[in-house]
Amino acid sequence: MRELELYFGPQHLGMVGNFSITLKVEGDKIIKADANPGYLHRGFEKLMEERTWMQNFPLVCRINVVEPDHMELIYSMGVEKLADIEVPERGKFLRSIYCEMARVNSHLFGLWAYSNMLGFDTVAHWAMYHRDLLLDRFEELTGGRVYHIYLRPGGVRRDFPEGFTTKLVETLHKIGGKVPDYNQTFFENSLFRKRAEGIGIVNLDEAKRMGAVGHILKANGVKYDIRKIEPYDAYDQVEFDIPTQTGADAYSRLLTIRDDMIESVHMIFKLIDKIPPEGDVYTKTPNPFKWTIPAGESYVRCESSRGELGLYIVSDGGEKPYRVHFNTPSYNHGLTVLEKALEGENIADVGNIMISLYVVAPEIDR
Amino acid sequence: MDELIKKLQTDFDGLEISTLAKTRITISTKKESILLLLSYLKRMGYDHLAIISCNDWIKDNELELVYIVSHYLEKDYGPDSEIDKFNIIIKTRIPREKARFVTVLDVFENAEPYERELHEMFGIYFEGHPRLTLLMLERNYKIPPFRKDFNTKKYVDDLYGNIPTIEERKKGKK
Amino acid sequence: MDRNQIGKWFKNPSKMANKYSLHAIYFCTGCGIIEIPPSITTRWDAERFGIIPVATPRQANLFMITGYVSTKTLKAIIRTYEQMPEPKYTVAFGSCPINGGMYYDSYNTIKCLDKFIPVDGYIAGCMPRPEAVFIGVTHLWKLIDMDKANGYKKYRENYPFYRANQEQLFGDLDWPPLFPKENTNG
Repeated sequence: MRELELYFGPQHLGMVGNFSITLKVEGDKIIKADANPGYLHRGFEKLMEERTWMQNFPLVCRINVVEPDHMELIYSMGVEKLADIEVPERGKFLRSIYCEMARVNSHLFGLWAYSNMLGFDTVAHWAMYHRDLLLDRFEELTGGRVYHIYLRPGGVRRDFPEGFTTKLVETLHKIGGKVPDYNQTFFENSLFRKRAEGIGIVNLDEAKRMGAVGHILKANGVKYDIRKIEPYDAYDQVEFDIPTQTGADAYSRLLTIRDDMIESVHMIFKLIDKIPPEGDVYTKTPNPFKWTIPAGESYVRCESSRGELGLYIVSDGGEKPYRVHFNTPSYNHGLTVLEKALEGENIADVGNIMISLYVVAPEIDR
Repeated sequence: MDELIKKLQTDFDGLEISTLAKTRITISTKKESILLLLSYLKRMGYDHLAIISCNDWIKDNELELVYIVSHYLEKDYGPDSEIDKFNIIIKTRIPREKARFVTVLDVFENAEPYERELHEMFGIYFEGHPRLTLLMLERNYKIPPFRKDFNTKKYVDDLYGNIPTIEERKKGKK
Repeated sequence: MDRNQIGKWFKNPSKMANKYSLHAIYFCTGCGIIEIPPSITTRWDAERFGIIPVATPRQANLFMITGYVSTKTLKAIIRTYEQMPEPKYTVAFGSCPINGGMYYDSYNTIKCLDKFIPVDGYIAGCMPRPEAVFIGVTHLWKLIDMDKANGYKKYRENYPFYRANQEQLFGDLDWPPLFPKENTNG
């Protein structure tokens, strides 16, 4: 049999964003895969050196379009670490509720992408509808559906409006009440099990060598979660568990995504009960037009819905950052782990493996 | 953590260790001992390479490479085990003209895309790397784009500002 | 909406059939792709306007360029646009294709998309809401009625100038010219 070179290019129904892979195939089996990122590269880290500290917020949230809230969180945490700013108590709880809402949002989008690619259109339409109900709550809180610039160094920008928490609880009950239907239609469906069991196995030894984090480790039974290792904001005042599975294939990764989403919904209910009734929601920062931060460097980490997100930030005492470097989870998953996980698989399973590794393309290119 | 610092200071020379924050340590060293230091730390249990980054100190005429390692968990973490939360930041400096360095691919397997990106963005050549081709950029630049002497506005005006619209091109031809 | 639809159907049935069944190609070119899945699913249903996503460029007649365009993506966009059959329409989202938008000083994004492929209309928003996308599509219908959505005709007539612009940006191109020199009219 001869070797053939195929381009699984950017315009494809099974592709996660604007990303392409060059495949060397022999018959129906893949021999070698070469990832080809760069279709969405804007040079963020260079652009952020030309704008002041507060002017960088609209740029920072466009790095990951599916989940912009954790990008704002990590940049705010970096600036707070450099400038030595503390967040007040009520602000911490509002931040955690906001980030958990973003996590549910992102998992519903991932469920749409996966079931649409497999062909289960019913579940895809349900997931997108429930995500839209949650986007209504975001719009009431911040004014925008997709890019909400709600966090700032020192807390959040404004308090919750009146009656927001009751409406949020209602929406989450609607989403949570549909989970038995999701289970019966999708997760316990024998067609889904046949298509996802045994596909794209990444076992623990390979995952650690290739720097994988997030659901790839959770599907192997390791509870690696920054919310427990280095708790930030209000995560040390609420009890929650990290769900894990033991198969290392695409099926286990999807099950951990579903369990993570259910755990986030329960966490929001517990956090709402514990919000301190009054207090400031942000600490005052100096005039943003003339704000200089003392020289230094820091490395901060948080847990986005895809894994461990880190930021290395350097300041030289001026009004603009000197060097900013985002360490996104999709960088390792989309470049190193994907090339290894695709060897020996069939061409028809490429989209399946790529979306179950939870890669999103703009995070790789920045 | 203190015994690790004592061991490092006895086994290596030329290290400057300082504490950056409650769970962050910075080690500055000379460029010849990076590979040995990284494999030593990996044997001590720091087996996750988080990031390889680079700073451009144009006033000192030097590039500074930064490696950050941390600890994966073997089993369930305990709430009072401090070793799992430390991140070690290792820094070294190389000259800016003809920047060359050795690759750490033998120690950490996921260093490959980080070094490719630093090669195209900063112009550093890593000896021993199997494929130093373009990762994200589409063309070669005379000055690597992330260095401090690359002026983005001037580049944009030269390249994109000189392409005429269709109407202007029609009038120019006629 | 149109009040004298029956008269228009009798006068020019192919134009009416064309405009009420725009098949959009499934290509996520930029950040605006985050508001397309809500548009095509149940809450903001796009199929009542006749828009469904299709898999290949040979089956499509609407090309939605959702946001900014980088140089690598522009090569893929030109090849996809040239494979679509005529009549074809292009719609761009946001202000990044007009003049660079918020990435005005980035070395990797295209500042004015109209210099490389013809764009029929722009929809405002960052990202445009699903309602804004539908209003844009109804404006496109009006333009089709008035025969003003003729980007594809401009491409055919001025092809050497478009090709010269593309070659000035990229150097030599990998693919041969779409309309060879002997056959251009004017």
